[in-house]
Amino acid sequence: MDMAEEGKGHPGGTPAGTEVVRPRLAVCLPPSAAAAELVRAAHRRAAALGAEWFALSVETPEQARLAPEGREALLQALELAARLGGQVAQASGVHVGRAILRFAREHRLTALLVGRSRSRGWRRLFHRPLAEYLLRHSGLEVVVLPVPEGEPGPAAARSAFAPSRRLLAEYGLAAAGVALVSAAAGLVSPWLSFTGVVLLYLFAVAVLSATLSRGPALVAAGAGVAAVDFLFVPEYWSFRLAYPDFALTLVVMLTVSLVISGLTARGRHQAKMARYRERQTAALYEMGQKLAAGENPQSLLTQAAQHLEEVFGAKVSVLLPGEEGEPEVAVGPELPEDIREARVARWVYRYGHPAGAGTVTLPEVRALYVPIKASQEPVGVVRLEWPQPPRSTWDLLPLLEALARQLGLALEREKLSRQAREAQLEIEAERLRNTLLSSVSHDLKTPLTVIAGSASTLLENPGLDDATRTELIHTIYDEARRLDRLVHNLLEMSRLQSGRVELNRDWHDLEEVLGSALHQLEARLQGRPLTLDLDPDLPLVKLDALLIERVFINLMDNALKYSPEGQPITLRAFRSPGEVVVEVADAGPGLPPGAEAQVFDKFYQAAPGRHRGVGLGLSICRSIVEIHGGRMEAANRPEGGAVFRFTLPLTEDAPQNGREMPQPEGGPPHEAPYSPY
Amino acid sequence: MKPRILLIEDDVHIRRFLRASLPTQGYELLEAPDGREGLALAASQPVEVILLDLGLPDLEGIEIIRQVRQWSRVPIIVLSARDQEQEKVITLDAGADDYLTKPFGVGELLARIRVALRRSLQDREGRAETFFEVGKIRVDLEKRRVFRAGEEVHLTPTEYKLLTVLIRHAGKVVTHRQLLKEVWGPSFVDQGAYLRIFVRHLRRKLEDNPARPAVLLTDPGVGYRLRAPED
Repeated sequence: MDMAEEGKGHPGGTPAGTEVVRPRLAVCLPPSAAAAELVRAAHRRAAALGAEWFALSVETPEQARLAPEGREALLQALELAARLGGQVAQASGVHVGRAILRFAREHRLTALLVGRSRSRGWRRLFHRPLAEYLLRHSGLEVVVLPVPEGEPGPAAARSAFAPSRRLLAEYGLAAAGVALVSAAAGLVSPWLSFTGVVLLYLFAVAVLSATLSRGPALVAAGAGVAAVDFLFVPEYWSFRLAYPDFALTLVVMLTVSLVISGLTARGRHQAKMARYRERQTAALYEMGQKLAAGENPQSLLTQAAQHLEEVFGAKVSVLLPGEEGEPEVAVGPELPEDIREARVARWVYRYGHPAGAGTVTLPEVRALYVPIKASQEPVGVVRLEWPQPPRSTWDLLPLLEALARQLGLALEREKLSRQAREAQLEIEAERLRNTLLSSVSHDLKTPLTVIAGSASTLLENPGLDDATRTELIHTIYDEARRLDRLVHNLLEMSRLQSGRVELNRDWHDLEEVLGSALHQLEARLQGRPLTLDLDPDLPLVKLDALLIERVFINLMDNALKYSPEGQPITLRAFRSPGEVVVEVADAGPGLPPGAEAQVFDKFYQAAPGRHRGVGLGLSICRSIVEIHGGRMEAANRPEGGAVFRFTLPLTEDAPQNGREMPQPEGGPPHEAPYSPY
Repeated sequence: MKPRILLIEDDVHIRRFLRASLPTQGYELLEAPDGREGLALAASQPVEVILLDLGLPDLEGIEIIRQVRQWSRVPIIVLSARDQEQEKVITLDAGADDYLTKPFGVGELLARIRVALRRSLQDREGRAETFFEVGKIRVDLEKRRVFRAGEEVHLTPTEYKLLTVLIRHAGKVVTHRQLLKEVWGPSFVDQGAYLRIFVRHLRRKLEDNPARPAVLLTDPGVGYRLRAPED
């Protein structure tokens, strides 16, 4: 009953056919040389239909026993698919057909592509072709491509029939159990009816089924019936039946035995599945909780790796793309020296498909690699290494991939919110730059215009009288100084804003810092009554003298600008608990009501247009004071005028005065000249 | 003979305005656009002062200072931008004599050159001053007595030592490090607090208004400068 080469599925078509505009295909790849051909065929078909397509490999317990050639072929086919524009995908489960169906449902496929079944002759009786299974259960279009699936390699064939050691032990136990019960029945048979013997065997089969897997349980059932026939049914010591009605007894016994073993096996399987699902649910729930608690990418990764370690009992590393776009370990142990490990990690990251130990893809490395997928692309790779590499991963992968996806989504969410924040900052920075540019270009151009105008006047009018010449030259000089101050403030601001300022802190005398600032403002202080009220016992303060000097200069500059000429300026510095307070007060018009905090904003000007400057001075002051750990504030004085106040924290160990100073080291006193020459 | 000044500066405009001003003040000017030519000129011709720009295209300023110092004690005045305090200190500690911050006026430059010339003359003649006088301050270096406006001021030994070190370098900047080393000793070069406190005491004794010093000046971020007598 070969399927037609391109047999149509149910006439009902795709259940989701009405909503899916673009067809979605998946080609199911067998682990054989035919896989590559299937990929090409699927690619042609998808291209003809304009369809989105998946190259699907299925991870099952059987696959663990595959020959290396088969795995290599599958791997190459998957890479080919990725190159041809297909999406590489993987389904896993105990049963190939069911795993494919689940994948088809989850990905809302419209058609499935499979190769022609490899089963021939009598094997067809027991081996239903995959295509037929899919056709019956999927309700999708199933296309059998004219490519034979090919035979699995010889190693696989051999190993497929080599049962595990544990299974062998179970068969032995089944045989021993039947032998034991036969011996017991033989001993008690003189006092036991035939019915009693049969019940004894049924009891033994029930007990054995409760502990053994399905195969050995069935063997125990069959062996029990055979033993009864051989030992307790006339003719004795022969399988021949003396009376036909014993046949009925034996058939009933066989049926009851099979039902018992089947029921117990199923019950145990269901209990195991329930436990498994419960563990999965718990693991997923807990992962969700932990990821929700993570605040930054690093803590997300650490939490996730820790959780995966607990769930899978493996050493876990999380790899994220580094600067070159290749996955690098972000959390957990580094990759081993083996160059293949990094290759597998890259492969998994590129194709979004699990690989490594226990899978069909690149299983020769020590660890299992699973992609961390977010909504679209893989965003990283999880690496799990067990002391013993797992033989198969079909039972781990669904949970592992679900957990990895949770991590992926959490990382993506984090990244998106970070991008949003950065975009917001970018917008603000851009706005600031624009304000700065317009304001700076005006303030740079004004003095430049004055300089150029005065200089050209001097150049072109040789006959000017000396007084005018001197005045023009003075103007040029003053404007150049003004430009210098402006440029200096701009540089200082950008330096402070960039966050790259290194404080050059040392113990300083505020009086000295202030004196140095006043020295620089000397020319502008002419004709200004200046009151200095400095506490003579001020301790030294740990500060960056140049920056604090800048604060004094800017505050004084501000007071000079915003108060009428001839009005006094008062400077006070005094101690208060834990800090030093410095005040610069003027007798000008004061601050506009409500502007007390605003004045420290960049580009704020109390009276735009009246005064020259960009409105950076006070903003710089605040930045400097704050990086020193102090506070800056502005207020109006009750007696009129504005007062700007800043504090600098005092530390316990501040040197107070010179009493406890060490005397100079011994040796020649002032006759020991330092001379650079 | 006119004192000869070597200007090592890559900027054409700065060279031009110095060329316009220095010769009119009685100096002969040699110009070098980069460090190598500057070193060659300094080695081949006797010069009285070197004006050295920090930020030459070919050599680090400090490298030039080290090389010149291997064979000459000629005063070197460094020209630098304002945000290079750290570099100024390094070049001063490496053997430069003084610095001038750009932008500077010709007046300031001439004052620095005068100080440098006077100091190197004293140095060559090995003549020790017995009196130092600036503003209201008069120091009798032989008798170790200090007067302010004619009245004797009593200094502690450390204060006096600090004052004499500054007098020896009068007119030019002395870095914090140099002062600490000369007054307290080499193991105190990082104890800026000592220096600040003694300078405060010295100012209270010598200055009319310690907050606005007229004699013991601060060079922010670099060191201290005692005003030269002729300024």
